[in-house]
Amino acid sequence: MSPTDNELMENVRDGRVEKLAVLFERYQTMLYNFFLRLTGNRAASEDLVQEVFMRVLKYRAGYMGDSRFNVWLFQIARNAHVDYLRKRKSTLPLDGQYIETHSREPLPEAAYETNREAELVRRALDRLPVQKRELLVLFRFQNLKLREIAELLGCQVGTVKAQVHRALKDLSRIYLDLRKGNVS
Amino acid sequence: MNCEKTQEKFADYLTEDLEEGSRGEVQEHILSCAACREDLENLTVVWAKLGVLPEEQPGGGLRHRFYAMLEEYKDGLEAKGKTARPSGRAGRLAGWREWFTFRRPAFAASFSAFLLFVGLGAGWLLNGGRAGGERLTTLSREVQDMRQQVALSLLGKSSATERIQGIGYSAAVENPNDTTLAALTDALDNDPNPNVRLAAVDALYLFRNKPGVRESLVRSLAIQTYPLVQVALIDFLVEVREARAAEALKVLIERNELTPEVKKRAEQGLKQIV
Repeated sequence: MSPTDNELMENVRDGRVEKLAVLFERYQTMLYNFFLRLTGNRAASEDLVQEVFMRVLKYRAGYMGDSRFNVWLFQIARNAHVDYLRKRKSTLPLDGQYIETHSREPLPEAAYETNREAELVRRALDRLPVQKRELLVLFRFQNLKLREIAELLGCQVGTVKAQVHRALKDLSRIYLDLRKGNVS
Repeated sequence: MNCEKTQEKFADYLTEDLEEGSRGEVQEHILSCAACREDLENLTVVWAKLGVLPEEQPGGGLRHRFYAMLEEYKDGLEAKGKTARPSGRAGRLAGWREWFTFRRPAFAASFSAFLLFVGLGAGWLLNGGRAGGERLTTLSREVQDMRQQVALSLLGKSSATERIQGIGYSAAVENPNDTTLAALTDALDNDPNPNVRLAAVDALYLFRNKPGVRESLVRSLAIQTYPLVQVALIDFLVEVREARAAEALKVLIERNELTPEVKKRAEQGLKQIV
C-alpha cells in the first residue's frame, strides 16, 4: 500500500526530504490549477507551486500531523497567493478588493473554439472578488470538504456554508449577465 | 424549515453530502417557496457550469525546477551536517578521531593504499631492488584491482556523496572489469539520486568502447525520468553516433511527460544519428 500524505510529510519533517518528491507528484497539478484559477497566469502559477514546496521545506519542522496534510498545504498555498497579490497590488487593501485578472491568458486556440461555455464561466469567476473566488475554487475544484475549508479559514462550518451560498449566488448573477451580454 | 435554514443546506445539497432526511426537508421547502426554488435552480446551474472548466497541466519546467531545488536543499542539509561539529579542543579532537576511523571511506582507501605500497616497497627492497617489468605490471594491476574494490564498496553506501566518490574511483580505472561496469550501469538505472546517475553517465562515457556499455545506455534511456539525466544520455548517444539509439529516441519523443527541452534535444539528436 502506498504511504499516505501524512506519513510522507512526517518523513520529510524527520529529515528524509527526498520523500517530498512523491508529494510534489501528487499535488503539483492540483496546486497549479488552484493558482491558475486565482491568477489567470500560467507562469505565475508555476512560480507559486514552486514557492509552496520551498515553504514546505522551510517549515517542515513545524508540521504536527494533527490536521490533514492537504489543509496544511493549502494554508501555505493561500499565504503564498496573498504574498503574490501584495507584490502585485501593494497599494490596495486586500479586504474586499475587486481583482480582475487582466493577465489571463487565452486558452489554446482549439480548446477556445470548442468551449466557449468554459470561457464564459472563467470570465464570470474572474469577476468575483478574490476571497469569494478562492472559496469557490477550494470548494468546487480542490475537493476540500466544508469542515476542511472552515479549518483552513479558521471559522465555523456554518459561516463557510453561508459564504459559499453567497459566492455562488454572485457567480450565478455575473454569469447570467455575461450570457445576456450585459457585461463586456 | 424556514428559508434561512434551508439555504444553509444548499452547499451540502450541491455536493450531495446531505443526509436523506435533510435532503427531503430541503425538497419539501422548495415546493412551497418559489424564491428558494429559483435560488437553488440558479445555484445548481452555475455549479454544473463550473464543472466545464478544464484542468490544465503545468509545463515540464516546473518539475525540473522542483527537483533542482530539492537536490540543492539536500546538498545544503548534508553540508550542514558535516560542519555541525562541537567547537573547541574537544571538537578538534573528536574531528581527528573521526578522521582516523575506517567508517570514513577516504581514510579507509588511503590507509589501504598506504599499506599496499609499504608491502610492495618492502618486497622490492628484499629482492635487492630489482624491479623488473613484470613486477611493475603486477603492481599496477594490483593498484587497479584495489581501486575497483574501493569503488564497489563506496557504491553500496547510503550517502549519495560517497556513491559519487565511488563512481569517481571507477572512472580512474584504466581497464574496468565486468563487475565494475555492471555496478556503474546499476547506479545509472537504479540510484535514487539524479546526481549519482549523472556521474554514472560521465563515467560510462569513458568506457564507451567496452562491450555492452552502449547497449546499457540505450536501454536506460527508456527508464530515466529526470530531465538532466535524459539530456546527458541523449548527448552521450549522439556523441558516439549510436545507431541503435534511434528507436529508443523515437519512443522517448512520444512520451507525454517529457519536458519541452528534453523533447527538443531528443528530436535534434535523432536527426544527427539517422
